[in-house]
Amino acid sequence: MIAFGISIPDPDPYLEYAKPGIELVSEPDSLVLAFSSVGTAGRSLNLLLDAAATHDDLEALVLVHTFTQLDDPSFCAAVRRAFADPNVAVAGCAGASGVRSLAWWEGRTSVGDVILRYIDHGGGELPAYPWLEPAPPPQVVDTIDGCVMVLSPWATRNVRFDEALRFGHGHDLDYCLQVRAAGRTVTTIDTRVIIHRSLDPIEDWDTWLEAHVQLAAKWEGRAPWEPLELGDERTRARRAEAQAEAARSVSYARRLAIDAHVAELQRTVDEAAGSLSWRATRPLREINQLRRAQQARRPEPPGRRSTL
Amino acid sequence: MIAFGSSITNPDIYRDCARRGITTVAEPDSEVLALRSIGSIFASYNLLLEQAAAHDDLEALVLLHQDAEIVGAGFCDTVRRVLADPEVGVIGCVGAIGIRSIAWWDGSVAQASFLHRYPEHGGGDLPAFSWTWDEAPPYARVGEVDSVDGFVIVLSPWVVRNIRFDESLGQLHGYDFDFCLQVREAGYKVVTADFKAVHSHSLMPFVDPESWVQAHIAVAEKWDGRMPGVGNATGTWLERARRGEAMRDAALLVDHANELLLEAQLRELERALEAMQNSISWRITRPLRQIRDVREAFRARPNWRRFRTGAQTGTTTR
Repeated sequence: MIAFGISIPDPDPYLEYAKPGIELVSEPDSLVLAFSSVGTAGRSLNLLLDAAATHDDLEALVLVHTFTQLDDPSFCAAVRRAFADPNVAVAGCAGASGVRSLAWWEGRTSVGDVILRYIDHGGGELPAYPWLEPAPPPQVVDTIDGCVMVLSPWATRNVRFDEALRFGHGHDLDYCLQVRAAGRTVTTIDTRVIIHRSLDPIEDWDTWLEAHVQLAAKWEGRAPWEPLELGDERTRARRAEAQAEAARSVSYARRLAIDAHVAELQRTVDEAAGSLSWRATRPLREINQLRRAQQARRPEPPGRRSTL
Repeated sequence: MIAFGSSITNPDIYRDCARRGITTVAEPDSEVLALRSIGSIFASYNLLLEQAAAHDDLEALVLLHQDAEIVGAGFCDTVRRVLADPEVGVIGCVGAIGIRSIAWWDGSVAQASFLHRYPEHGGGDLPAFSWTWDEAPPYARVGEVDSVDGFVIVLSPWVVRNIRFDESLGQLHGYDFDFCLQVREAGYKVVTADFKAVHSHSLMPFVDPESWVQAHIAVAEKWDGRMPGVGNATGTWLERARRGEAMRDAALLVDHANELLLEAQLRELERALEAMQNSISWRITRPLRQIRDVREAFRARPNWRRFRTGAQTGTTTR
């Protein structure tokens, strides 16, 4: 039996995103554990592990973030393929090896069909990690993205999330590192997942920075955390501070460039939209919009799956 | 006599930018020192200092990048008025206080009377916040600062004859901040004044982050303990390292997210254009091409590879 576990801080995103995804991919005998969140992310997830572990017929526990929508009807088959290797303890849709920090995406990545569905700027879909050059799944990795974590029965019963990681980031990486340190394997699987969130990747940067530091303090010097080989602490600090300001400067410059060019393009669009011919054809466009709206109200053909 | 000096690697850029501004603001007796670059900006500027110092009637030396154009009337009058204060050693039109590294823009910027003219994607202008004083924010002001942006700097005769650019620091980055620190350590003021310049350069602050990183480290090591705030921070070295690495990764993630943001905004515009295309297709050809151009241009990224691999090309010791 493949179980699904969700820690729910806010019911709305669960109902809108995670729940339809679970309904799409789950099997008739699947168990769905939907618990209200409590305390740290680690504590909430451990509750799910404890509940799933009591089921003798457990094949896998799928931990789904409330903003994550599973979108692959063959998801369970992909999970079983991954866990056909008895050493595999954790599987996910995106991950990396050579990880040196909370920013796992700076390692050697492997990503399935992971989509970002955003509502900013009129909404749309984009690849979730367009800046990466990932290897296709399946790949053995050190960690996976916690938007979807599939745990083997062994992992469910023997490894727990670190409840001392209190900043809401990095519990997924920490869990995978524990699994790797125990000699088990973490792997990516080829599946389609939709992540619903803003284009801004982090809501609260201060807590993300604290989580980054806390995780480094826990894992530095311990396998499988990649050694940094950056000399003494003074040299490392100097270099990190310089790199931080270099990255900030480049990021700021690129944002300026984006703003400048989008504004320029917007002016071009506005000029075209304000032209005489565009205004003259406005009634025709309104008629077309009305026609499309009427078509949209017609019943869907049978068998066609609705999407968000 | 007010002299003007430039180190030139590209004569065409010098002619179109620095030379044009000098022609506008210089006085009949002004000396123009147009020097072909002799290597690093540190070495080239030191040679210009030597040449200017030889003039007994020197009132000021204006050092400007080949891509910097001083604009507006009254430049020389402004220079004389500010240098009437014998404690002033350096003048600029962009400066900040609370600067702790060569990233002067991470300080509290007090004046930014420049216009950034970029060549990419057909070109454009980005006016800084005090380019137009009427629209400047309340914190905009002229006066004493920690450092000025070196793209246009005016030096007093004493500074020209007594301070030199530190050629041990590298090729380009950090020369201005280090020079201002030397001037302040010698007891002279670094100030901003009310003049303007156009700086024509790429949108990217540097092509290879590694050389900038090395300059950042070198300047921090040089001034830590000599000038308050520079090169030091709270916490142990290990704590600083971990905090710096976290901030670096956060900044990289923000930069990665820039690509998502750009793509989302372009798609939004594309949708608007495609809606129009149904009615007036001939009009949308040019904007769609522009969108493709911008998307292509932003695929070129800085070389972060060394960050990811943790490669170290320099060491710091004490």
